[in-house]
Amino acid sequence: MIRPLILGWLFAVAVATGASAQSPGRAELIAGLCGNAAATGDAGNRILASAGQPDAAELPWMETVTSALLDRQLKCAADPGQTVVDGGGAVRNAVTLEPASAPDQPKVPVLNLKNRAVFELAQSALRLRVGATPSVRRQALTALGRKAASVPVEVFEQAAAGESDAGLKAEIESTAQISALNSPDIAKRIAAVERLASTPNRRVQTQIAALLADPAYKSDQKFRLAVDAALIKVGQGILLGDVLSTLYNGLSFASILFMAAIGLSVIFGLMGVINLAQGELIMIGAYVTWLTQEALKSIAPGLADYYLFIAVVPAFLVTAGIGVLLEATILRHLYKRPLMSLLATWAISLFLINLVRVSFGTQNLQFLTPFYISGGVPVVGDFIVTWNRLFAIAFAAITLALTWFVVNRTGLGLNIRAVTQNRDMAGCIGIPTRKIDMMAFGLGSGLAGLAGLSLSPIYNVNPQMGGNFIIDSFMVVVLGGVGTIGGTLVAALGVGQVNVLIEPLWGAVAAKVIVLFLIIAFLQWRPEGLFTAKGRRR
Amino acid sequence: MKTLFADKSFAALIALCAAAVIVIALFGGTSLLTPYMVNAIGQLAAFAILAVSLDLIWGYLGILSLGHGLFFAIGGYVAAMHLLKHSYEVTGIVPDFMQFMGWKEFPLYWAGLSNFPYALLLALGVTAIVAFVFGYVSFRSKVGGVYFAIISQALVYVAMLLMFRNDTGFGGNNGMTGFSLVFGWPVGQAGTLIGMAVVSIVVLIAVLIGCRLLVTSRTGRMMVAARDDEVRLRSLGYGTLWLKLAIWCLSAVIAAIAGILYVPQVGIINPRVLSPELSLEIAVWVAVGGRGYLTGAVIGALAVNALKFWLSAAAPEVWPFILSGLVVLIVLVFPNGLLDLAGLKWKPRLLSSMGGAK
Repeated sequence: MIRPLILGWLFAVAVATGASAQSPGRAELIAGLCGNAAATGDAGNRILASAGQPDAAELPWMETVTSALLDRQLKCAADPGQTVVDGGGAVRNAVTLEPASAPDQPKVPVLNLKNRAVFELAQSALRLRVGATPSVRRQALTALGRKAASVPVEVFEQAAAGESDAGLKAEIESTAQISALNSPDIAKRIAAVERLASTPNRRVQTQIAALLADPAYKSDQKFRLAVDAALIKVGQGILLGDVLSTLYNGLSFASILFMAAIGLSVIFGLMGVINLAQGELIMIGAYVTWLTQEALKSIAPGLADYYLFIAVVPAFLVTAGIGVLLEATILRHLYKRPLMSLLATWAISLFLINLVRVSFGTQNLQFLTPFYISGGVPVVGDFIVTWNRLFAIAFAAITLALTWFVVNRTGLGLNIRAVTQNRDMAGCIGIPTRKIDMMAFGLGSGLAGLAGLSLSPIYNVNPQMGGNFIIDSFMVVVLGGVGTIGGTLVAALGVGQVNVLIEPLWGAVAAKVIVLFLIIAFLQWRPEGLFTAKGRRR
Repeated sequence: MKTLFADKSFAALIALCAAAVIVIALFGGTSLLTPYMVNAIGQLAAFAILAVSLDLIWGYLGILSLGHGLFFAIGGYVAAMHLLKHSYEVTGIVPDFMQFMGWKEFPLYWAGLSNFPYALLLALGVTAIVAFVFGYVSFRSKVGGVYFAIISQALVYVAMLLMFRNDTGFGGNNGMTGFSLVFGWPVGQAGTLIGMAVVSIVVLIAVLIGCRLLVTSRTGRMMVAARDDEVRLRSLGYGTLWLKLAIWCLSAVIAAIAGILYVPQVGIINPRVLSPELSLEIAVWVAVGGRGYLTGAVIGALAVNALKFWLSAAAPEVWPFILSGLVVLIVLVFPNGLLDLAGLKWKPRLLSSMGGAK
């Protein structure tokens, strides 16, 4: 191991000392490549070692001859100066890369398995440094990553320093750390361990834990201390990441629940009607989103990526329109009979499910994943802020703000609140209660449509999807209390968080069971829910 | 007897049921009345019992349960467990779900279920306990109306999720099937089918007469009063908690009996009986037939299920549309169901009008 390194170093020094030194160095290397197996191996190791030198001037040449050797395009002559590279449609002198003629009776060196591995590694290392495109360099990095331990650390350091692509640079650095972990220099190893520990996740934990079995862990106290400290730090980071990740998932689930429940809550508060078709309005919102996407694809492909924003208006209008229609034709007659309205809305949901099934089929819809909701940002540990969930959360927050504004700051909202508190009195002072009912039903239905839009990038969209949300959102309404935005928000957050907290412990079913029992128990204490609308109720 | 059969439609229904028993006993299994038809009639009778159980609390007490499938399923599951254990002890065939899970022995809670009286007691006992606990916490905190309906629906939904798990020892998502013997008789045989159908109809008659006696009694008047104006009843000094709780538990037990009768006849039980849709359909039967009339519940169960049997074979795509249209029509135009349509409106002398039902 030492000899090639020294040779490589000598070579590097030789190259670094001046351009005039290049030709003898090159010729010497070519001689090695054309020599016997041992000489070829030495040359390979020298190339590998020089791939880490700061000066990249000589590297493209090395890359050319290494690739030529691997592809059996290097044709050796007795004199290294006459050896040629015969490939790519041209015959070039191997030392100068000037056009040349092929030697008589050339010898084509054949690599043995051991040497081939060395040269492949050297080729990847060289390509990582001087590859023409990021994709070539990324490919080289992947190849190197598999054998990071046998690659000189300097290769990664220099490659990272010279890399222009930010994403690739981060990847190179991470691979470099793994390489440094196995460096023969103990100080470098300690530094690598500490650097690794600064980005705690499960992969890093496995890597560091593997060092516990390393001989250096027993023999070197400094190294042992560094590894132990790093393990503790990584463990804490992972724990923090898991906690944050759970909270984040809970928040995103809660935002969906909130979106599904807020419309239900407004309608229930106003008319005492639980709309069992709310889940289907969510489904229709998602279908309208999909139709918008398809329409954009054919009319304005450039805008197709922005369908999630463009669909806001149609998703709201279509579902609100359906809501108004249902209110005007069916539910209007059932306000005095809330239990019958349950049956009627169930029948409507059955109708809508089957209508969509007949027109679109039962398969899941395919949604584009626009750039702004793909991927995420790793924060700490294994906690990644994924953009699609953040989109749902932000969407719910905006909806919350708008709903609050409509209910508390507009004339319609004032009327809705008045009718919610006392229908007869509101009617007496001239509020058109029937019209308010219809508009509020439209508002609640439109909010369900928006819920469908916001969950379409996360959940499967098919005719049956409404049933998955509806019971959870009922629970949110029952827990939060009728017709209060605050109650719905708090209840959605509570139900969402409790669900994701219990899920990893006992499973999703147990989470649902426990949430239901918690809600029933809670109603013992506050039968009207968390926040009761002030006012006289029946 | 006079009050019992004072209502002509009720008397006619009982007579019809009795006639059905005689016809099945005489002609069952012949080409006139094939075993398949006998079996279908038996299943319909079980559904009719289920509808009566819901009508008892919804029609007469104003409490809509959208989770009555839970009690039906408890009865059904215990019956299935009894049948499997019984079949196993006679034939030695290990139930499918145990082979599937790789279990050699029955779980502990299956002990003694081959004994029918114990199984019956267990089914009714578990049902009564579940109903009591859920009813007590709900009625005590005055959870009623739409809230109660929604929470009962969530209860049956959660139970469905629970039963879909394979490790509970209740057959998981495949449920339980492959019953070979009922009380020692082979399940598929005409004689057994006739026997089960006759028993179902006899139980239906008994349930109808029992419920009729209940709703025409003083308690029945209390029930209707609690339905129409619970606050007034309470201010008059009547407690409603124990009244509601007792009728609720009774209704649950009747639903469990329906489940016990249903499962041996249909030959399978799986978590789908716990789906919120089935529980809602029970309410649809009652609403279609006529809430607050025992006759109506039976007619509704028979009519909707007969329509379903026919249409889900003839035009399965159309059935959901027909059902939803039927429900909207009933709810909007005939709030008292088919009895409205037929003009057979039963006018109770002492009971207040049905229009105030919440």
